[in-house]
Amino acid sequence: MKESLMDILCDPLDKSDLELEVDERDGEEIIEGRLVGTVTGEVYPIEDGIPNLLPPDMRDEE
Amino acid sequence: MTDSTEGTEPTDPTEEQTKRDLAARRGAETAVYQPAEDSALLASAVEKRGRGRLLEVGTGSGWVASRAARDVPEVSAVVASDLSPHACRAARERAVAGGVDGATVDEADADAAPAGAPPLFDVVRADLVEPFDDDAFDTVAFNPPYLPTDPENEWDDWMERALSGGQSGRELIDPFLGTVGRVLAPGGVALLLVSSLTGYDAVLDRVRECGFEHEVVVEESYPFETLSVLALTREAEA
Repeated sequence: MKESLMDILCDPLDKSDLELEVDERDGEEIIEGRLVGTVTGEVYPIEDGIPNLLPPDMRDEE
Repeated sequence: MTDSTEGTEPTDPTEEQTKRDLAARRGAETAVYQPAEDSALLASAVEKRGRGRLLEVGTGSGWVASRAARDVPEVSAVVASDLSPHACRAARERAVAGGVDGATVDEADADAAPAGAPPLFDVVRADLVEPFDDDAFDTVAFNPPYLPTDPENEWDDWMERALSGGQSGRELIDPFLGTVGRVLAPGGVALLLVSSLTGYDAVLDRVRECGFEHEVVVEESYPFETLSVLALTREAEA
């Protein structure tokens, strides 16, 4: 995901803001990292450039 | 999702057709819905009405989203989302391979990119429009899983979830209509593909209940269903 995507993402649980933590970046593209709910504290992983913003109860299935 | 190679068993046509459709799709591809007539119809509606920042909900293989990014000059940014991790990966791979992923242009800052550069393209794993801000999108496109399915015949795998709209066929359409208004910017439009198999009038009732005006953007008839793409706008603005 591009960092600019942060402008339109929110925590799916309560629509509050998310904070971006980057582990690996390729130019504009965030490859690995996580999005953290500023209110809920929920952690949403970013893997292979794809943020997983499913709420925790929907996230396990592969 | 029209099946042009129907079999010959003389049983309940709708139910048998649905089962065969699902079985055929399931055999053809195990996890991600591949582009078909309905995808092409949604893409043509996006060509006519897509603009600004566009979200495709339930992007599947990412075909419509990539077309929007590549072929629709009025579209400036594309977000492709899906519930399925397999679909998300397929959509991202398609975008990167097709060169529609704005970030693959070396280290060029998107803001500094020349006019005519590919729009920004992102993939997000999401439940409908839940993780997106209010007023985030000018266009939202959705080809929902819409085949009415007998609960006894559900497989509970990713392909089944890409096709089945539950018993009514509207299991995903109803919550979509109930939530999409929040993420549409003022003047924004939602493009919803509806099949006659799902019950066109029942969908229109729900469209009105949710406060949308609608018009038909494109429509195609096939032997077993008619597919329409509706443009939905907020009543007050229509």
